[in-house]
Amino acid sequence: MSSVTVARTDFRSIRRSYAVVGVVATFAALSALVFLGSDEVHPHPVRTTFGLSALVAWALPLLLAPLAYLAVAGDRARGTITYHLGLPNTRAAYFRGKYLTRAGVAAVTTALGVAVAFGVALATYEHAPDPGRFLALGALSTAFALAMVGVFVAVSASVASRSRAMVGVVGAYFLLSAFWVGPLPLLNLGTALDAVAALPGVGVSDSARALVGSLSPAGAYFNLLPELVWADAPGEYAALQQFAGRSDHLGYEPWFNGLVLAGWTVGAPLVGYLRFRSAELG
Amino acid sequence: MSAVDIDGLTKRYGDVTAVSELSLSVDRGEVFGFLGPNGAGKSTTINILLGFLDPTAGEVSVLGTDVTRDPQSVKARVGLLPEAFEPVPNLTGREHVAAAVETKGSDDDPDALLDRVGLAPEDASRPADDYSTGMFQRMALAVALVGEPDLLVLDEPSAGLDPNGVRLVREIVREEADRGAAVFFSSHVLDEVERVSDRVGILQDGELTAVNSVENLRDDLGMGSVVSATVDAVPDLDPIRAVDAVTDVSADGSTVRVACAAPGAKMAALRRLDDRATVADVTIEESSLEDLFEAYTTDRPEAGDGDAGDGATGPGAGAESATGDEPSAATAGGDRT
Repeated sequence: MSSVTVARTDFRSIRRSYAVVGVVATFAALSALVFLGSDEVHPHPVRTTFGLSALVAWALPLLLAPLAYLAVAGDRARGTITYHLGLPNTRAAYFRGKYLTRAGVAAVTTALGVAVAFGVALATYEHAPDPGRFLALGALSTAFALAMVGVFVAVSASVASRSRAMVGVVGAYFLLSAFWVGPLPLLNLGTALDAVAALPGVGVSDSARALVGSLSPAGAYFNLLPELVWADAPGEYAALQQFAGRSDHLGYEPWFNGLVLAGWTVGAPLVGYLRFRSAELG
Repeated sequence: MSAVDIDGLTKRYGDVTAVSELSLSVDRGEVFGFLGPNGAGKSTTINILLGFLDPTAGEVSVLGTDVTRDPQSVKARVGLLPEAFEPVPNLTGREHVAAAVETKGSDDDPDALLDRVGLAPEDASRPADDYSTGMFQRMALAVALVGEPDLLVLDEPSAGLDPNGVRLVREIVREEADRGAAVFFSSHVLDEVERVSDRVGILQDGELTAVNSVENLRDDLGMGSVVSATVDAVPDLDPIRAVDAVTDVSADGSTVRVACAAPGAKMAALRRLDDRATVADVTIEESSLEDLFEAYTTDRPEAGDGDAGDGATGPGAGAESATGDEPSAATAGGDRT
């Protein structure tokens, strides 16, 4: 029961700081804006989910990071951890409680954002949104958000200071989202693989590129969307059709990408906990 | 069974030794004052007691349980008031106590505990972030008292408290000890420690330099007391200097000051002075724990070298005079083999 007590205590704390309200409201507003701004360009809401997915991959982690990076490191820096662990809480129960609150906030933020997008699409688009596609988008986006929050909490549990937690979380975001599948023209995984392929005697096959590209939460998320959200989409949208007829590489397989996402969601917090379990506190 | 049993505890951080070969025990119902200058290793010792840190060497048993093997069992029976921690942001004082009650599975009434430590209901319902240091200490003490712990570990419990608060802490500590709880009491307010502790341990550079009752430490150091007598005319002081256990005699105007290392020397010196002059007034000043602390932590005395061994194993073990030669071998006087 102590995990529940830690989680409840923690949730009260972050809820009253209005940070949670700010994050949830900001993402909901951004999701609504994405759809409000595109209703006249794309008559089918499914096309706009392409833009929403980019918002999820690149903006949502940045909104969640401030809530997550101090989850454990903040308590260690303030000494508040002695309050929690001076009581008969195991380190596992404490870590679980902390993860639960952050994961809960991430799930609610994501689900609400997608729900708001659906509502805006329903109200403003020429064609009604497909509930099945939005459900799938909501589920996938939530899974991605949980994976990223797991990474952030793991970083927070692995370090003893606020500054290290912040650097670690920002670094994890840039590596796993912005660099791996990011919008930056030069600083991304593709250019890095090109550089490797340009070395004498080194070749990087398409299947290897697909495999490496799928290994981050954002990569797996983007690889799952064509199959589960955009397949057989109405309208003739090049952005969605670009994924049709992709090669049969392992890196594009939905089951493999689902496994990658699950691996991050479970594996990152586990690694964070194992580091925290052996940390010297005080 | 002791409440706290530390045997040969050593904690190193790389090349730095924070605690070295520390051995001591604290009995149930005993108030043990744990003293030392900043960086002496007090907090490290307390953190090991609670399982926050692992010892490099040695054994630490709390309430009969090896804390490195089963910290959960230990924490369920310990009440902790940590030093220098901040509250959970945006949580009220009452919610801090209520969460502790829930975690410990006790049937305590949070309001009753907060009332016991003197935190007003209207303050208890405010976020603890807004508390003054004294109010925060009261709340933290209420958290420590949850579940009638068998061991209270209080790290600087009087910090930031007003005199009424300090007195309240002293009363609560005595009440808890009377209930049978052991109290491990770390403080820089030496007067407070002296008033409330059955024994004190003085830690210096990670080593236990003395552990005993304040009275025994005072006797061991020959810092017993100073008799100040106002006389009509200062006589020849040599006969007074010749009294056994008189360590120093001086005169300042019409006041004669006689330093006595043993309780019996006071009356003997006073009688001899009274034989030679008319004594109009007498005051006796006992050397304070502050004097002892200074003596043990600035210029380690020969006389105190054996104290750690004699007093380290409980209130009864230190009653005899210091005899040991190895200050860090604090188990020498006692009940361990």
